Amino acid sequence: MYSLITFLFVVPVLISLLLLVVPKSLARPLVITTALLLSAISVYLFINSEGVYYFGVPAYVNDMVAVADIILLIFFGWIAIKRRSWIVGLMSLLQLGGLLYLLNTMPAHHSLQFMVDKLSLFMFLLINIISGIIAVYSLRYIDEEHCSPFRKKYFLSTIFWFIAVMNLVVSSNNLEYFFLFFELTTLASFLLIGFRKDEISVKNSLTALWMNQIGGLAILAAIFFIHHNGYGEATFSNLLANAKAETILLPLALLSIAALIKGAQMPFSKWLLGAMVAPTPVSALLHSSTMVKIAPFIILRLSPALKDTPVANVIMALTGFVFIAAAIGALSQDNFKRILAHSTIALLALMIMMAAVGTPVTITASLILVLFHGISKSMLFLNAGILEKVFHLKQSSDMDKLGESGPFTALVITIGFMSLLLPPFGAFIGKWVSIESLGTLATDKKILGALIMVAVAAGGAVLSLLYFKVMGLLIARTGNEDKIHFEKTGPFYAITTYLLLGLLLSTVVGLPLLLNNYFTPVATQISGTPVALVTEGWTMYLGAVKLPLLPMIIAFLLLPVTIVVAMFVRFKNVDRAKEYMCGEKVNYSFSSFYFSTDRATPYFAAAGVLFFVALIMVALI
Amino acid sequence: MKLASYRKKSPWILHYNAGGCNGCDIEILACLSPKYDIERFGMINTGNPKQSDILLVTGPVTKRNRERLVEIYAQMPEPKVVVACGACASTGGVFRGMYNCEGGIDQYIPVDVYVCGCGTRPEQIIDGVVQALAILETKTKELEESVRLNKEAIKENKQLNRRNIADEIKPVYT
Amino acid sequence: MNNLWVPIILIILAPLLGGLVYGFERIIKARMQRRIGPPLLQPFYDFLKLADKRKMIVHSAHAFLGIMHFVSLWFALAVLLLGGDLILVIFLHLLSTALLILAAYSTRSIFSHLGANRTAISILAYEPVLIIIAVSIFMLTGSFDAAAAFQSEQPLLYKMPLAFIALLLVLPIKLKKSPFDVAEAHQELTGGVELEFSGIFYEAVYTAKWIDYVFCYALVYLFAGNNILLGTGLIVCTFFYLNALDNSTARVSYKQMLRFSLTVSFSLAFINLLLNSLT
Repeated sequence: MYSLITFLFVVPVLISLLLLVVPKSLARPLVITTALLLSAISVYLFINSEGVYYFGVPAYVNDMVAVADIILLIFFGWIAIKRRSWIVGLMSLLQLGGLLYLLNTMPAHHSLQFMVDKLSLFMFLLINIISGIIAVYSLRYIDEEHCSPFRKKYFLSTIFWFIAVMNLVVSSNNLEYFFLFFELTTLASFLLIGFRKDEISVKNSLTALWMNQIGGLAILAAIFFIHHNGYGEATFSNLLANAKAETILLPLALLSIAALIKGAQMPFSKWLLGAMVAPTPVSALLHSSTMVKIAPFIILRLSPALKDTPVANVIMALTGFVFIAAAIGALSQDNFKRILAHSTIALLALMIMMAAVGTPVTITASLILVLFHGISKSMLFLNAGILEKVFHLKQSSDMDKLGESGPFTALVITIGFMSLLLPPFGAFIGKWVSIESLGTLATDKKILGALIMVAVAAGGAVLSLLYFKVMGLLIARTGNEDKIHFEKTGPFYAITTYLLLGLLLSTVVGLPLLLNNYFTPVATQISGTPVALVTEGWTMYLGAVKLPLLPMIIAFLLLPVTIVVAMFVRFKNVDRAKEYMCGEKVNYSFSSFYFSTDRATPYFAAAGVLFFVALIMVALI
Repeated sequence: MKLASYRKKSPWILHYNAGGCNGCDIEILACLSPKYDIERFGMINTGNPKQSDILLVTGPVTKRNRERLVEIYAQMPEPKVVVACGACASTGGVFRGMYNCEGGIDQYIPVDVYVCGCGTRPEQIIDGVVQALAILETKTKELEESVRLNKEAIKENKQLNRRNIADEIKPVYT
Repeated sequence: MNNLWVPIILIILAPLLGGLVYGFERIIKARMQRRIGPPLLQPFYDFLKLADKRKMIVHSAHAFLGIMHFVSLWFALAVLLLGGDLILVIFLHLLSTALLILAAYSTRSIFSHLGANRTAISILAYEPVLIIIAVSIFMLTGSFDAAAAFQSEQPLLYKMPLAFIALLLVLPIKLKKSPFDVAEAHQELTGGVELEFSGIFYEAVYTAKWIDYVFCYALVYLFAGNNILLGTGLIVCTFFYLNALDNSTARVSYKQMLRFSLTVSFSLAFINLLLNSLT
């Protein structure tokens, strides 16, 4: 077991170094085998693990980590000087100062630095499988970018060491190590967003850098307060053990702030929206499936301590607000990737909210959302990349011809959107469980519970509107032809798309099985109390939440199946007529409608800042 | 209770002006007003050929109008009747022989009832429509012979592609 | 099983009931305009006439989605009348309208597109109010099920009067009646989303409108709880209110509709929710 886990940490780093030197013909099989290997290991670990694995490392690794930290921060400072960005420089200085102070005043390390429990194994599953598929996809994608061959190798190698860092992030116990890996993910994000080296990429990468550095600073401050208040070592297990202590709220609030910034909640959402100028595998990997999932991961780790605290209440209010604000913001976008980015922010808010509530059922809901959102969003982003490279489309209003020129991609994007929205796909079940389980919250915190329920349900309605708006563009056709010819996009693109599609559909079919054997045990371990999954006749009860199966099955037949069938159905022996345009015979091409939210965005940002301030104040009082 | 007998109980009207002076149009709209009230027969003025049964045409067909007239006629599903309201729609009226008029709509589409009058009165229009309803009941769902209507069926499916029916009439823009 | 017979019969007869309501509405509208108006069974005559037309579609996806809109709306009504979860009911209604919107987007017709855009915006106007009403019912009865509301001893109207007024303000948007009928603006869009349907495929959309009536009146009946007399009274009052409003007001633009709905109706429902959660 331990060796397998270490394998997951070390192998991606080796592969990333190898990828810098091997020729392209060797790189392809290398990437594919590594992807398969990592996925297989993570599945094996998840299925066969029992209990929690702690492991420690020799003392020299502590020193290595400290040195690596300092080098990283000096590198950030160098970037600040090179790009003349005072704010990055300021952040780097603050972080460097804080780190040096902490290194001097920290007690010696006693306990074990790495903790791999069921939550980490769950995240391993998500990270390795999705990253594997995206790495294979980027083999073809990066070939079509206009840059030097060495830069293409550099891209692939960055993706692999990023996988290693993600694996390390979700297994760190010691907060100083966690800080290092957190900042390494920031570094990966910075390098990959600025990959294309044009002016807007550089600007957006700097924005991502300093915003995430604030998150790192928050982690350092949390470490400081843990020492200062005398809880001993700064580790997650220590923090959870002292959950009922007096002033524990301040480190928890600071760690939550780091999580919220990483999850691009308002007012820090600008970096994620700007990160969409990066190549699409970056958006798929970092900014929808794995890196931003650190945000719900942190809150899930801390949820036994956060439950029923004022900090949790503020987080719930903030994320409820962000859910509906991001949904409304998405209606104003035309660029396809930015629409997906807004929807990512909204769903991340929902995941964080569920984790902050902390009851076993809501934790299960959060886990369901994390996994299924990862699969669906990565599929959507990969297809956005196909749209960009094969069809040369970036704006969604240009997609109205896609139903005829690229029916397979249109079908996959439609299924992707439907999987975020409709039963019985996982994301819908997650949202359903969220709304229903908020009801139990509302029995004692009435006003907050009522407000959040309204925000979640209304935000869900707005998101549905958004998805149907884009699906409408994809389903448009003239009706001149009767047969559909699926287009060919090439083996790498097609196979990765099929893989993700297969994953999605198989998880739908196996949802009760997955819920019982895989999600509920993780939730049980996190929250400490068992989650019951009972099936009674035609209803399934998850804790106290009722999942009416029969209406959902019928809804499945009526809605997603209908939309997919509508693309293929042919009525025979029925006349075909022209559209009514008062008798004119012109062909009409169209774009879609948008809401302009420019007047509202300052208010959203201001509200976000207020919430963050409230978070700190509530922890201090 | 044959289904055909329900056609006269709910005839939906489409009103098209093929270049007329609007005199007959006003009289048609007056039929919907409380004084004459054709809604008591179940008639609705839909603006949409796909959902209507009776095509009321006014005006002599001008060169700009002819393809649109045929296109709208083609978009109406059978069984349907055409009522030519007014002297202009029947024969060209006062504009017969002008350089821009074709002289009556029966040059282009088959007409079932001709209602006379230059500025036809609502009573005449209602009378004409009632006679047209009697004819409607006897019609079948087959496509009618017409001067310019292309009714080649697509061999494999026995379905008709009506999208290009008015194509052979070239538009004239002055 | 005894008390399941009434909902099941209502569900099976829903198109008939809706058709009768629609026919009665046309007579009332005519009498308000000092005309005679069509006979009561006119919608059924329309139905039978439409069944007799030659079949004609724009393309198969459009016609198929129109039929599925009708089926899924009927299913949403079935879930509501059988006492299912209110959030699921609202969601299914939203999705059946979304199927109609998809159908309208799938043709390349200007009027369909404009109608679909406007229908989407009107969804944005009425969904939040319905959701707040569902959450208020949850606060009062402790469960999201419509069965709890239908069987509650004390009518919910007494505790949710503001929410009922908000529902009344939002029903014209759902049923496409003046002043909020931008989505179907007949003079502007010749029918909007219903434009490209013809013959038997149009029947699906036409009958769906009737089922929408039954759905909305069932929502009104939720407020009456166990009391049949109060429920019938509420339905009759709502019917006359809707028709009086329809015949006496002019259409407002979609911006005014959205602004009105999100300020007035939403605030009323929201205040009611806060009051319910405080007590």
